[in-house]
Amino acid sequence: MQRPLLFAGAAIVGGLAFSAQAAAAEDISCGLSNGQVASGEPIVLGAIVGKTGPDDFSASAMAADAYFECVNANGGINGRPIRYIIGDDQWNPEVAAQLAAKIVQDENAVAMVGNSSFVECAANAKLYADSNIVAVSGVGVPRECFSASNIAPTNAGPRISSTAAAEFAGEQLGAKNIVCIGPNIPNVGAWSCEGVVKWGEANGVTANTILIDPGSLDATSVVLQAASFGADSVVLGLPKGIMLPILTAAEEQGFDQTMNWLSAASGYDTTVPGTLGAVWEGKFYVNMEFNPLDSEESDNRNWLAVMDKYAEPENPRDTFAQAGYLAARVVTDALLSLDPADINRDSVTAALSRVDNFQSDILCATWYVGAEQPRQNANHTTRMAVTAGDTWKTVTDCRPSEDVELADIIAYEKEAGIAN
Amino acid sequence: MNWLPFVVSGLGIGGAYALAGVGLVLLYRTSGVLNFAFGAVGAFGAFITFASLGFGAPLAVAALAGIGTSILLSCGYGRFIAPTLAYRNTVIRSVGTLGFALILLGVMGLLWGEIPRRLQYPTDKMALSFFGARLTYTRMIALAVAASTVIGLTILIARTRLGLNMRALSDNRDLSALLGIPVLKVELLAWLIIGIFAGVTGLLLANLVGLKAFQLTFLVVPAIAAALLGGMQSLFWTAIAGVGIGITEAFLTAFPLVAPYRSASPFAIALVAVAVTAFLPSLQKRISS
Amino acid sequence: MSRAIIREDVIPMPNRYRTLLEIPVAMALVMLVVVSTANAYWISTFTSALALALAARGIGVLYGLLGLVSLCQFALIGIGGWMMLRLSHGTGLPFEINVLIAGVTAAGVGVVWGAPALRLKGLYLALVTLMLAGAYQVVISATGFPDGGAGFLGRADATQRLMLERPVIATSNSSYLVYCAIWATGGFMLAEWLRVTKMGRSWAMIRKDDNTARSVGVNLLTYKIIAFAFAGFLAGVGGALLAGGVGQLDGRAFAASESLFLFALSVVAGVYHWYGALIAGLLLRAVPSLLTDFEINGYVAIIFYGSALMHALITAPRGIAGQISNLIGKIRTIAIPGTGRQAL
Repeated sequence: MQRPLLFAGAAIVGGLAFSAQAAAAEDISCGLSNGQVASGEPIVLGAIVGKTGPDDFSASAMAADAYFECVNANGGINGRPIRYIIGDDQWNPEVAAQLAAKIVQDENAVAMVGNSSFVECAANAKLYADSNIVAVSGVGVPRECFSASNIAPTNAGPRISSTAAAEFAGEQLGAKNIVCIGPNIPNVGAWSCEGVVKWGEANGVTANTILIDPGSLDATSVVLQAASFGADSVVLGLPKGIMLPILTAAEEQGFDQTMNWLSAASGYDTTVPGTLGAVWEGKFYVNMEFNPLDSEESDNRNWLAVMDKYAEPENPRDTFAQAGYLAARVVTDALLSLDPADINRDSVTAALSRVDNFQSDILCATWYVGAEQPRQNANHTTRMAVTAGDTWKTVTDCRPSEDVELADIIAYEKEAGIAN
Repeated sequence: MNWLPFVVSGLGIGGAYALAGVGLVLLYRTSGVLNFAFGAVGAFGAFITFASLGFGAPLAVAALAGIGTSILLSCGYGRFIAPTLAYRNTVIRSVGTLGFALILLGVMGLLWGEIPRRLQYPTDKMALSFFGARLTYTRMIALAVAASTVIGLTILIARTRLGLNMRALSDNRDLSALLGIPVLKVELLAWLIIGIFAGVTGLLLANLVGLKAFQLTFLVVPAIAAALLGGMQSLFWTAIAGVGIGITEAFLTAFPLVAPYRSASPFAIALVAVAVTAFLPSLQKRISS
Repeated sequence: MSRAIIREDVIPMPNRYRTLLEIPVAMALVMLVVVSTANAYWISTFTSALALALAARGIGVLYGLLGLVSLCQFALIGIGGWMMLRLSHGTGLPFEINVLIAGVTAAGVGVVWGAPALRLKGLYLALVTLMLAGAYQVVISATGFPDGGAGFLGRADATQRLMLERPVIATSNSSYLVYCAIWATGGFMLAEWLRVTKMGRSWAMIRKDDNTARSVGVNLLTYKIIAFAFAGFLAGVGGALLAGGVGQLDGRAFAASESLFLFALSVVAGVYHWYGALIAGLLLRAVPSLLTDFEINGYVAIIFYGSALMHALITAPRGIAGQISNLIGKIRTIAIPGTGRQAL
């Protein structure tokens, strides 16, 4: 019942990729783009992703891998190829720490690229700091990914994404009473929903938080609880595997008719509109941390073209993949700025901390690494989309988040003259 | 806060616990094995159904394919693996099914991965409203299946020749064989019934809680709570306990202080029940056997 | 058999104490090889494996010696780890004292959790302990582990998690591995010592039958409590060492299914020998690492565990350690006739 839709979704994306490639076959851009295969001494980069576990978070590293393959086929880093090691942390911090020891200490990686995990940032932040290595993460989820000097995710994070959804509900849908539902995972759910609650307080909107056990099987009670708060809008900050049963339960209870349903970027997945079905047409809003997946702008088309040529067909072309692609681009640009003979961890870390004006049409605004900053959260300008048939329709332009926690980030941007 | 809607919503998850719990008790009573693979076998069948639907099969055919797969898996284990452990203690026999569950879980992960999926039935869209909460027909079917199987299986075990043989077998395998009970055949029948049951349960759970291999496999853990409350004996009380646990779990949602911990309620209820009953002398004999 | 008895009379040190010497020697040899050859990845893998091996030894005592199945030992690792983190962030006590307190705390919880065993045996006990593990999973994933915050729970909810400081004498990865090995050796030796003394004989009686044990004057209550306390202590120390290895713990890593895996793989590894616990630790941590090294999907590890479990149950009731022991026995019988039996 859902499989054909799933195929259909893939076919749509695939079709777009084909058209994009047809247009961009000559000017597919990665690294030096000179068509020469790199053959020198490899430069080691690493990634830690949560693949085996409650959800598959490997798309980001798969996209980065495709980009690096493309770079290697196009001159590499001034002749030196990239060796990209991807570890699966199985959603277990202990394994994440072991993998970090392997990649950082044994393999001597010069940077981490495209990490995407629920556990990795917390487990390895100290090791990264001690080893003077920068992690340009693809998808940062828990608070620890946005609170370290040398972890710089390309995504906005669940807090900003949830808050942006609440802002949209308040301003465009006229919400007066919002409930934020997050997982009871420490430093994820409560942190994300706090952004929604604080925004509500500042803007005269009632906002409540429901934290749920991700292992719980009882979604109906959760939506009934949301209804018992008298909510007119619900913001979900959940992995899509937990989010879908809640939407289904909401539909069963008829709340799809009486409440607005919104989600952080975790809900922005090509399979979601089809899985939800026609009932949700135009009713489920998601935040997008990046440009729409089917955007016709040049860098997004380049991403799809790279995926088409260098990734397996089954690797997802989703928002996580966009994040991984961007991370790979940031690091490749930084590596290319260095003398190929003098690429080591210290020089790469220095080069990455000089990134102050990275541009891509996949992003809403300038992306940067805040040199000497205690924390990184460059991406905080996002869009919203709504379900439309088997796909998504963008409904807003780029809009910077009003989350109060961003005060330090905004202050730094002003001081450093970064136009965001 | 009005807690009545939560009671109604608890019927859904309670039905899931009841179905899985009854499945566990049934096999335990007939062959002395606590089947840790019950959830995995059901989930595997549901995945087959899902895949068949993807190939364009009608729902009835796909459902039969799924249940058939569950039967095959269950009988395969019951015929080829279970007899090799037949003379070990119940714990080891049960842990054997855990091995089988892990293999199935790994294969499901390899084949289908952890992408959120859900089986949808036409009955999802139809619902009755009670106390401000709706109960879909699918959930009512789940409850009806639980109720009718409890009745049917209780009769089977208590009143039929096959049931008698099964009980004899679970009490003493050697003596049963001496008495001329076709041991392997009776056991295989028990595994066959469990296979059907796991398949049907898997199809319902894939709708009620989603088609997730890990979650469905380890649904047996809270279901064990229901089975314990039924004393590992009574299908009727296991079903009642399952529904009761589900309602309690949902009901606790209404109390913000304990709501984050509400999914611990199956375990807490089972532990309290065991603590009470284990120290009542009248129940001693049954438990220590 | 008669020959062995005669030999015991001749040799001044009874043979039953010999394994007590074997343990430190074997552990020292293993550590020497590991520390001199392993890279950072494998050092941290072995550190985790040793921590889990201690907990597995606890299962070995309960199941191998008393015949009691406890399916909540991974939760007890969590109890020990929680206490370790809470004490380290909250007090200035030395690492070793914290490890011991963590062990004692887990021992206390272990006794309370083992209370059903006073009345229950077999599958019932197994299931009740599994319920405990299930309840612990819900609670710990909601509260999380202490990471330097204030209050009883010690949750920082701040921008940066505090990491657990390792002991001053073992801050590097390899020295911490050796440090853990010393604790593990101590734990294994303690377990072995208990096994060969009166305690072990009483436990063996209980394993046989409660009534038999009672009839020869074994105090069931005391000896069962000691067994659960000891198994809990080993798990707690394991949890404390695990926390020191990573620097922090995560609530989601302590699911009830982990307790099931720990028991299952302890059985695969063999519960009747001290090195079975070591093998169990390696199965749990080194096998996935090995698969990662070969870039094999994590689901393959799950399939491997399942097949290993079924294979071990069907063909090797005494586990891998039992097979190794048989092998050693055979070699001895060939090399030194008449001595092979003791290896069993």
